[in-house]
Amino acid sequence: MARRVLVVEDSASTRAFVRAVLEGETFAQRLGGAEVTEAKSGFEAMRMLPRGPYDLIITDINMGDINGLELIAFVRKNEHHKSTPLVIISTQSTERDVERGMALGANKFVAKPFAAEQLVEACAEVLEAHHG
Amino acid sequence: MAEQGGGKGESDRAREEFLSEAQELIDGLGRDVLALDELSKVGRSDPELINDVFRAVHTLKGLSGLFGASMMSGLSHELEEVLDDLRLGRIELSQRVLDVVFRAVELYGMLLGVERGNGMDLSSDIEALLVSLGEVSHRGRAGGASPVAQYELDPGLLGVLTEYEEHRLRTNIQNGMSLYKLRVAFPLATIDSALDELKANARPHGEIITYLPTGGGSDADAIELEILIASKESVDTLRSALSGHQLAIEEVPRRPASPGARTSLPPMARLSVPAAPSFGPEAGTQLVADVARVPIASLAPPPDRDLTLRSVTQTVRVDIRKLDHLMNVVGELAIVRTELMAVVDRLRNRAEMRPLMQELLRLHRSFERHLEQMQGGILEVRMVPLGQVFEKLARVVRQLSREHDKQVNLVITGAETELDKLIVEELSDPLMHMIRNALDHGIESRDERLRAGKPPVGTIALNAFQKGNQVLLEVEDDGRGMDPKQIADVALRRGILTPDEARDLSVRDALSLIFRPGFTTREEATDLSGRGVGMDVVKTNIGKLGGVVEVSSDLGIGTKVTITLPITLAIISVLFVEVAGRTYAMPLTSVEEAIVYDQTATRTFEGREVMTVRGATLPICSLSRLFGHTTSSPPPHGFVVVTSVGNRRVGFIVDSLIGQQDIVIKALGRTLRGTRGFAGATELGDQRVALVLDASALVEEAFAEKERAA
Amino acid sequence: MSALVKRRGAAVQKRAASEKRTEYLAFLLAGDTYAVRISAVGEILRPPPITEVPRAPSPIIGVVSVRGRLVTVMDLRRRFALNEAPIDGKSRVLLVDIGGDEQVGLLVDEVLSVYRLAESEIEPASVLGGEQPAYLAGVGRPREQKELVLVLLDLRAAIAS
Repeated sequence: MARRVLVVEDSASTRAFVRAVLEGETFAQRLGGAEVTEAKSGFEAMRMLPRGPYDLIITDINMGDINGLELIAFVRKNEHHKSTPLVIISTQSTERDVERGMALGANKFVAKPFAAEQLVEACAEVLEAHHG
Repeated sequence: MAEQGGGKGESDRAREEFLSEAQELIDGLGRDVLALDELSKVGRSDPELINDVFRAVHTLKGLSGLFGASMMSGLSHELEEVLDDLRLGRIELSQRVLDVVFRAVELYGMLLGVERGNGMDLSSDIEALLVSLGEVSHRGRAGGASPVAQYELDPGLLGVLTEYEEHRLRTNIQNGMSLYKLRVAFPLATIDSALDELKANARPHGEIITYLPTGGGSDADAIELEILIASKESVDTLRSALSGHQLAIEEVPRRPASPGARTSLPPMARLSVPAAPSFGPEAGTQLVADVARVPIASLAPPPDRDLTLRSVTQTVRVDIRKLDHLMNVVGELAIVRTELMAVVDRLRNRAEMRPLMQELLRLHRSFERHLEQMQGGILEVRMVPLGQVFEKLARVVRQLSREHDKQVNLVITGAETELDKLIVEELSDPLMHMIRNALDHGIESRDERLRAGKPPVGTIALNAFQKGNQVLLEVEDDGRGMDPKQIADVALRRGILTPDEARDLSVRDALSLIFRPGFTTREEATDLSGRGVGMDVVKTNIGKLGGVVEVSSDLGIGTKVTITLPITLAIISVLFVEVAGRTYAMPLTSVEEAIVYDQTATRTFEGREVMTVRGATLPICSLSRLFGHTTSSPPPHGFVVVTSVGNRRVGFIVDSLIGQQDIVIKALGRTLRGTRGFAGATELGDQRVALVLDASALVEEAFAEKERAA
Repeated sequence: MSALVKRRGAAVQKRAASEKRTEYLAFLLAGDTYAVRISAVGEILRPPPITEVPRAPSPIIGVVSVRGRLVTVMDLRRRFALNEAPIDGKSRVLLVDIGGDEQVGLLVDEVLSVYRLAESEIEPASVLGGEQPAYLAGVGRPREQKELVLVLLDLRAAIAS
C-alpha cells in the first residue's frame, strides 16, 4: 500500500532527488512505495492539503513567502493532518529554526545533505511510530 | 555519493536538473553581487539583495552536498558563513568582502565546469579562497537586548519566525520603523499573482517581515494571511498605497513602558558562559542569542572561534557505526593475540624451538602494546564533550522560563568534559527532565523569591567534572528545595510506603523516594517530547549506562541532583564468573571483593539470607536462582561476589570465578531492552557470547527479593 | 473517507494491469510451510552458539554474535505456540532488519526455497477462516505447486511481542 507523501521544497533538484528516493527500491521494500505530490512553495502546499489526507509530509524550512515553520503550524491546525508524520529536511545553519519546527509539531528532521538511506530511515521511523 | 533510487533514468534526470539549477543560481549570484558592488560604490546597501545571495549559496550548499559535488559543497559552507555574518549584521560589506565574494562566484563557475567533466584542478585556488573567507568572517558577538519585546506581538506569530526573519524584525525596530499588521484573504488558486501584486505595492513603503496563514478565512478555497510589515510611513499612507486590495491594516502598538513591566515575551533566560575556549565568547556575555549561534559539532569539540581556519578543517565527522566496527576489529585482534600466546606456550616445551619462540614472544608483546594503543585511540575518538548536550539544555531553559514566567540564570561549567558519545546521547533526556523539574518545582516565582529574601533571578547550575575514571554531572538549583515530609506523604498516598516505614524514614531515604517507580504519575511527568518520565526512569536509564543518580536538598535553599558515570561505555573491566554452566561478566567498578562461599556462616535474618563476613552481615543472593537456572538451594561450594552500588551491598553466589578482563561491551538490542539485570553483552571468542550484568539493577532486585527468599 | 475509496480503486486497477511478482523465502516450522518476503531477510545462518538471556520474554531464546554484532534470536515456534523441537542440522537462523540498524534472528526448522508469487497467487489471510492473528499476512498458492500452501507472515507483527 503506497504512502501518500507531500513534498514541500522550493529547490527543483532537491524535489527531484526526494522524489527519486521515495519512488525507489529501498522505500518500496521498507514502506510499500510512495505516491508523491510535490509543492514548490508553502502556498502550493496549502493548496495541495485539501487533496489529502497525506500519510507523510516532508518539508524544507527556508522557503520564500510562507516559511516552513509557518507551514508546519498551519498543517498541525488542519483537521486531517493534526498528527500526520512530518519530516523536516534542512541544513545545519538553521539549527534554531529546526528546533522551532520540532516544537511546532514536526516529528523528525534530516539534515541536508543526506543520503537516500537516511531519508528512508527517517520516514520509516516516523511512519512506524505513528502506527505503532 | 547519494544513492539515486528509482533506477538510472531518474537519477540522470535529477543530475541534469542539478547542473541546470546550479548554473541558474550561479548566474543569479553573479548579477546580484555586481549589483551589491554598484550600491556599495555609492555607500548604500540592500539587505534583501544580501539575503538573496545568502539563500542562493545556502541552496547551492545543499544541492552540491546531495549530488556529491564536494568541493562546491565545502566552498559553499565557508562562503555561507561569511554571508550569514553579513546579513545578520556581524560584518560590514567592505570592498575586501566584495572581492572575496566575487572570487567565490568565479570559482563556482569553474567548479561547475569540473562537475560537467572538464577535468580542471582547482584545489589551490579553492584553498586560497578558503583562507580569504576565514579572514573576512566574523568572530564575535552582537549584543543588545531585544527590542522586539517592546511591541505587542502575538507569541503565536513570533514562534514561527525563522532566525533570519527575527533579525530583520529587530533591525527594522532598531532603525525606528513602525510595525503594521495586515490581514488579507486571497483565493488559493490565484494567491501567487495576487501576492506578487501586493508585494510590489508594498515594497516602496516598507519591508515585509513575514506572512502567516491564520487558518481563518470565509471558505475552504481562500486563505487568510496576517502580514507583518515594517515601515516608517503612517498607517494612512500605507492604507492608501495598498487600497487596491481588500485588507485590514492596523499598527502594532508598543507596550506601555514601565520598569519591570510584564511583556508577553517573558524575560529571557540568561546564559553566562565561562571563559573556557570551547565557547569562544568571553565570560560574562549574557544573552541566549549567542548560544543559539554557537555551532554544534557532532563529534569534535565546538571549534574555538579564535583558531585559524586550518584547525577547523582538521576535524572530521565520523559515523559512530564505523567506530563500532573498528572496535570489533580490535576485539578480533585481541583474540588473535591470545591465540598467538597459546602457540608461544606450545613452543616453550620444545628446546630446539627456543630461539623462534623467543622471537615470537617479542613480537607478541609488541603486538599487544600497539593493540592497546589502538584501542585507546579509538576510545578517545568516541569521546565527545558534554557541551553538545548543554547547549541544547540552554535552549530548553530559555523556552521553559518563558512558559513559566520565571527568571532563571543558567550557569554551566565543565562543558568541555568528555564522555563516550553513546553515553552523551543517552544523557540528554534525563538531564532535560532534571532541568524541567528544577524549573517546574524548584525555582520559585519572582515574588516568592523576594519574599524569601532571595535574589529575584533564580540560578540553575549545570556542572560537569571528571573524578578518577568517572564523570560527575550536577544539576543544582537555588529554589525551594525538597520537603522530606511532603515526599513521604506523597509516597504514603501512592502506596509506596507503609505508615510504619514512613515513621522511621531518614531525610536521605525520604529524598530517595522520588526514584521509586510510581512516585510520579504519568499525567504529571511529561518531558518535552511528551513522554511520561519519572525520576525512576531517569534512574533506570542512568543505571543502564553504568551510573548512579543521587539527590540532596535543603528546604528553602535548593536542590542538587548528581549523576555519576563511568567515562566510557565501550570498554570496561569485568570479573567473569560461572553460574550453572553459563558465563557472566560482572563490571569490576561495582565489585568490592570475591570471597569463598561459606555455607556455615549463612543464616536467615529478617527474611533475607545473609552471610557473616569478618563480623559484618552481608545479604546474599544466588544468581543461579535469580536467573531461574535452578530452583534448589545453592550448592555448598562456590564463591560470593560482593557487589556494592551506592550504599547497598549484596553478595552474589556463583559457582566459580573465571578471571578478570577488559572487555568491549555491546548493547543488547531493542527487543531485549526491557529485560532487567543486563547491561549488555560481550564476545568471548569463537562466536560465544557472555552477558554483562547490570550491577545496580541486580542489587536492587536482590533487596526486593527479601520476601521471596524465605 | 472518499480519498480512501479513491485510493483503493486505483490499487485494484493497478493489480489487474501488471503481473508484478514478489519473492518469498519459504521455510518449515513444526511441519507447516511459512514464507516471508525475501527483501526482509538479510542473511541465512547456521545457528551459532546461542547465549540464553534469563527472564527474557518467552519467544526470545537468546543472543548470538554475528561478525561482532549482537543479534537477538527469536524462536518462531514459541511465538506461534507451535510444537518445539531441538535444533538440528537443518535448523537455520534468518536475519531480518527491524529498523534503526538492528537485526533480529528468527530460528526456523528448515529453509526451503524461494517462490516468486504474483499478486494473483496471494490470497488474504481470511481464507484460512475466521479471525487470524495479525502476523498472518496472507496465503500463497504458487501455480507451479498446486498442493502447496504458503502461510505468508507479516514480519513486523510477528516480531512485536
